[in-house]
Amino acid sequence: MAEFQNLLNQVQVHGPPDPGIPTANSAWARVWKPGRMSRLYGMIGDAQVGPIYLGWLGITSLIFGFAAIEIIGFNMLASVNWDLVEFLRQLPWLALEPPAPEHGLGLAPLAEGGWWQIAGFFLTISILLWWYRMYHRARSLRLGTHVAWAFASAIFLYLVLGFFRPLLMGNFGEAVPFGIFPHLDWTAAFSLRYGNLFYNPFHMLSIAFLYGSALLFAMHAGTILATAKMGGEREIDQITDRGTAAERSMLFWRWTMGFNATMESIHRWAWWFAVLVTLTGGIGILITGPVVDNWYRWGQKHGIVPQYPAVYAAPAVPVQPGELDAPYQTAPPVTFPGLPGFTIEDDPAGLLQSSPADVFTRQVNPTIGGM
Amino acid sequence: MLLVVTACERPPMEVTQKGPRGLGLQTVQNPRTVEESMAALEESLPQTLTPLPAMDPAPAGAFENVQVLGHLSEAEFTVTMQQITNWVAPEQGCNYCHVVTPDSVNYASDAIYTKVVSRRMLQMTQNINTNWTAHVGDTVGVNCWTCHQGNPVPSNYWFFSGDPRQPERHYLDRDGLRVQGEFALASEGDNTHSIKDAEYAYGVMMNLTNGLGVNCTFCHNSARFADWEESSPQRVTALRGLRMIRNLNMDYMVSLQDTWPTDPADYAGLPDRARTGPLGDGPKLSCATCHQGVNKPQYSNEASYAGGWRAINQIGRPGATADDSDGG
Repeated sequence: MAEFQNLLNQVQVHGPPDPGIPTANSAWARVWKPGRMSRLYGMIGDAQVGPIYLGWLGITSLIFGFAAIEIIGFNMLASVNWDLVEFLRQLPWLALEPPAPEHGLGLAPLAEGGWWQIAGFFLTISILLWWYRMYHRARSLRLGTHVAWAFASAIFLYLVLGFFRPLLMGNFGEAVPFGIFPHLDWTAAFSLRYGNLFYNPFHMLSIAFLYGSALLFAMHAGTILATAKMGGEREIDQITDRGTAAERSMLFWRWTMGFNATMESIHRWAWWFAVLVTLTGGIGILITGPVVDNWYRWGQKHGIVPQYPAVYAAPAVPVQPGELDAPYQTAPPVTFPGLPGFTIEDDPAGLLQSSPADVFTRQVNPTIGGM
Repeated sequence: MLLVVTACERPPMEVTQKGPRGLGLQTVQNPRTVEESMAALEESLPQTLTPLPAMDPAPAGAFENVQVLGHLSEAEFTVTMQQITNWVAPEQGCNYCHVVTPDSVNYASDAIYTKVVSRRMLQMTQNINTNWTAHVGDTVGVNCWTCHQGNPVPSNYWFFSGDPRQPERHYLDRDGLRVQGEFALASEGDNTHSIKDAEYAYGVMMNLTNGLGVNCTFCHNSARFADWEESSPQRVTALRGLRMIRNLNMDYMVSLQDTWPTDPADYAGLPDRARTGPLGDGPKLSCATCHQGVNKPQYSNEASYAGGWRAINQIGRPGATADDSDGG
């Protein structure tokens, strides 16, 4: 195994696990001691697995997180009448929805969004504890807290979506549901409600930083892999002690694009791009509703909406004056035509329990054949 | 990954550009699926008789208990009845609606509920073909087969699910759908529509889109959904269709509420009979009832047109009876 150790070979280092430096709580806070070697993990990273540092923050965060996931899961299971097969089949469409707007910012009855509030509260506690755990672990290793602050940027977006913006709008009905497709449907509905989010400049910035992050990641990873045989993966060494890998990679970028980052600054580029994705995105969401009501109109006002030629023919039957004045949406009806005396208020048999999964999955019965 | 792949259809697709180029304003169809579905349609075509020209209405005493087809001549009436059987109940025959048993033959009897429903459906079709030509066209129209396709109960209908935000309520008693405001800033207007309202509108549109087998850009410029100036003329047709379907559901389907058999024993062993929904309501219509996933119902096959059938393309009237002083 006399091979030079760099990223270009598959050599795995196996030996006694490295226990890590001792800390105040290391006797009990670390689990999976002393760690073990795994050939599988060695193929994608370091072969050593564990020990993991849990501590009070980690344990409580996991407990709250587990509780949130349980609440979400059991609510979804209840929405398919506790049928496990249906639960698995419909899982992508199942949701735990926030309360209806009528409930405002108060606590809603459990079945009408109360569970969503509890799950959201638990999940938030869990995430904040996990954030503090990352901060704390970094400090105890005498590291900078860059990872924690980057995570905080993502938490900012999460809190804007589920808490700050609903607070400004005055009801939790504005928040995002839990669920795979339901949260995607929420984003579609959000964009439609506010006249196309693509005209929101903060959304534009967020996308630019998102794609930029992917681009920077590819450029940086490509550069380091390309220079690894010259020691390029020892990036930090080369910040202070330029080796040929650093010199060549910088020359490569100067030749190809006239400018180069340094071994140090490329990491600041990447960090800020990543952090700004959720920071600008969060600002864009926060002002959508409380400040801006229709981004398309906003775009027209500020000259960013292009005009296209009128290419459509007029309807065969001419439009009558006022015919296109379709009314605004009103509150859901409480009565049921054809069923006199039956209203939403009196629901003796519990027939009005909604099944959110139903709404977006209803399909046409294909009588004519494959549709 | 496999799930994602199996949920897709293989290329090539047939793409038709509808709007200004570069905006994705196009309709996408899978030519293989369309071919298959058109072939299935060809196989299911009804036997179509030739409608008779207009003649004097049937004289008093020719038929009893004729309430909505009084404008037909005796021969036309008979041919029409046969054609309706071809359209709606080709396998079941006359006695799907009429009392025709070895012991008793009474075509006039309203004893079987399907006869009462049929009468209301004839009135509904007359209404569609005369009052809603802005949606169904004044030369095309619809007949029984457009929805029924040889099935006594059409394949696509809906019941109350119990959810007050059920999207299908837009086909019944909820008119308003708009949620987007007119102004850029929240302070300029007082648009308080919630995301839940937007989700309802989205649900309605998805229901419509499934029913017609088209995508959003068939009607809308998806960058600016609300803008009529950049919408295709089909959007106007669709809006008229929505108004039509509310009229049909409220005035015709709901009015049959007391006619549907509610006791399961009434339709035991009769899979073709209409049932009632979980709240006890009768079936109601949506876009899919007629369109069945095709934006021009039955791919504009003439078998689905109103044609020369005066039973369905004119508003009917009661038939002459022996009591009529003017003799009919």
